[in-house]
Amino acid sequence: MELDTVKERAGPREFSPADDLPEEYRKAATRMIEFHANSEIMGAYLERPFIRQAPSIDRKLACSAKVQDEIGHGQLLYRAAESLGIKSREEMLDDLANGDGKFLNCFHYPMEDWVETPMIAFFVDGAAMRRQATLRRTSWEPYAHAMDKVCFEEGFHVKHGEDILRELMTGSRKEQQMTQEAFEEWWPRIIQFFGPTDDKSTHHDFAASVGLKQQSNDALRNAFLDQYIPKARKYGLEIPDEPRIRELDDGTYEVEEGDLDWDEFFTIAKNDYEPGLGQINGRKAAQEAVQWVRDTIEGDATAAGGHAPQAAD
Amino acid sequence: MTASLENPDDLDARERDALETLLKRLADDEFVLAERYTEWQVRAPSLESDLALSNNAQDELGHARLWYDVLEDLGYEEQDLVYERDPADFRHATLVELPFEEGDWADPILRSYLYDVAEKLRLEALEESTYPKIADRVGKIQSEEEYHLEHAQSWLERLADGDEGHERLQDALDRLFPHALTIFEPVNRDVESDIVDLGLRDATLEEMGEEWLSNVVPYLESLDLDVPESGQMDDDEFEFEVTQEMLPEERGRDGSHTDAWVDLYDEFTHTYRELGRSETTKIMEKPE
Repeated sequence: MELDTVKERAGPREFSPADDLPEEYRKAATRMIEFHANSEIMGAYLERPFIRQAPSIDRKLACSAKVQDEIGHGQLLYRAAESLGIKSREEMLDDLANGDGKFLNCFHYPMEDWVETPMIAFFVDGAAMRRQATLRRTSWEPYAHAMDKVCFEEGFHVKHGEDILRELMTGSRKEQQMTQEAFEEWWPRIIQFFGPTDDKSTHHDFAASVGLKQQSNDALRNAFLDQYIPKARKYGLEIPDEPRIRELDDGTYEVEEGDLDWDEFFTIAKNDYEPGLGQINGRKAAQEAVQWVRDTIEGDATAAGGHAPQAAD
Repeated sequence: MTASLENPDDLDARERDALETLLKRLADDEFVLAERYTEWQVRAPSLESDLALSNNAQDELGHARLWYDVLEDLGYEEQDLVYERDPADFRHATLVELPFEEGDWADPILRSYLYDVAEKLRLEALEESTYPKIADRVGKIQSEEEYHLEHAQSWLERLADGDEGHERLQDALDRLFPHALTIFEPVNRDVESDIVDLGLRDATLEEMGEEWLSNVVPYLESLDLDVPESGQMDDDEFEFEVTQEMLPEERGRDGSHTDAWVDLYDEFTHTYRELGRSETTKIMEKPE
C-alpha cells in the first residue's frame, strides 16, 4: 500500500496484519506501541516495592494485582507491536534492559514513600486513561484492540489510586502534609506526561496523518487539567504556584509551558536522567540474573507457566 | 468424632488456645510466603512466568486473609494479627521467610513445591475440622492450591533437565530442605495435641511430616536430586520420619526465626509505622 493510500484510508481500526503497509507506517506504529509497552513494564517496576509497603492486607492485594495487570498490558502491547513485523518482543525487551528503549517520563523518577503511590495510580494513570481512551480509535487494529482491555483495567487502577489519595487526605495532619509535598514534587512531571507542546513534538504530524495518534499533546493535556485540577482540589490538595496555570473564560485550564523544565524532560527522553538510571539498570540486572532460565527453556513452546493469559484476541 | 465447636464465644481457654494456634500456623505461613513471592513480580524470567507467579502470590495472600478473618471472630483486628504483632509471635515455618537471591528462580519453584505438598496434606486433614468455619474454607483453597502444585512441578521438571537448572535446584534443596521440615514442628507440644484431640485437624504433625517425606523424597530423587537427610528409615524404604538432626536451628513455629524475618517484618510494617496508623484499611467485603 502506498503511503498516500494509508493517509486517505486512515480511520479507526482501519489496518490489520492482513494489510501490506509501508515501512514508514509500521515503524511509526512500532515506536509508539513499544514506548507504551515499555512504560507498562517500567511503571510496574517502580510500583512493585509498594506491594510490600502497603499498610494493609487488602491494599497489598490490590497493589500486587495492579502490578500484575501492568505486566499483562505490557504482554498485550508487545504482541500488538510485534505484529507490525519490525521488531520482536525479545528485541524490545533487550533494548529496554540496555537503556535503548524509551518510556514515559514519570517512570524515570525514583519513588520512596507510600504517599507517592497515588501520584502514579491516580494522576499518572488518570492521564494515561485520557490518552488511551483516544487510542481505542487508532488506525492499527491490534493496538486499538489491546486498548479495550487496558482501558477497562486502568479504570480500576485509577479508583484504587483515588481511594489511597482520599484516605491519606482524610488521615492525620502528617499524612496530609506528606501527601501535599509528594504532590508538589510530582505535579510538574504529571503535566509533562503529555509530552512537549505540539510545535516541539517531533513525531506528532506523521502519527496523526496516518491515524495512529488521535489527539494532539496540547489537547490531551488541557483536557486532563480540566478534569484533574478540580479533583485534586476536592481532596484538599493545593495546586502549586509553578507551573502557572491560567483559568480561561470558559472555565478550562492552560499551563504556562515556559514554567516547566523541558531540559530535564528531554534528558529523560534520551534515558540520560541520572536518578532514573537506577530503575533502568535495576531492571537490567534483574533480567540478566534470570537469563539462565530463559536459556534453559528456549525453544520450549509451553515454557513459563502454561496457564498464562492469552491476548484478548 | 468430637462435637462441633460452633460458637467462638463458648470456647474454653484450652479450645481457644488450640484454635488460635492452628489458625496462626495457617495464616502466617500463607501471608509470609505471599510476601516473599511478590519479590518476583517484575523480576521473573518472562512476562508469562511473571503473571503466573503473581497469581500464586495473590492466591496465598487471599488464603491468609481467609484465615486471619477466622481469627478476627475471636476478637482480634488485622493490626493485632499483622501490623502491630510482635515479630517473635508469628508462627510461620522458617521455609517461607527465607530471602531469595536475585535471579535464583530455582528457589521459589522448589520452595513452592515443598510448601504446596505440605499444604495439600494439611488441607486434607482440615476437611472434617470440628470448627465449621475452617472446614468451610478448605474447599476454596484446595481448588487453587492444586494449580500451584502443578505449576511448581512443571517448572521443576523443566529446570532439572538442564545443567545449570539442576545444579541450582540441588543448591536450593540443600538450603531449603531443613527449613521445609519446620512446617511440621510444634508451636507447643500440649497445644498441638489439643488441636488433634479436639478434632480441629485430624492428623498429627508427625503423621503429616512422614506423609510429606514419603511424597517429596521419591519425587525429588526421580529428578536426580540428592535429598539431604531424607529421614528414610534404614530398614524400610517406604518409611520416613522427621528427626531432630534434620532440623535447622530456628524452628519458626516456636517463635525462633532467622534474621531475614526481622528485616522482612520491618519492611512490610514500614508504611504503617511511618504514617502512625492505628488500624488497617479494609477495601474488600469480609469473606463469607
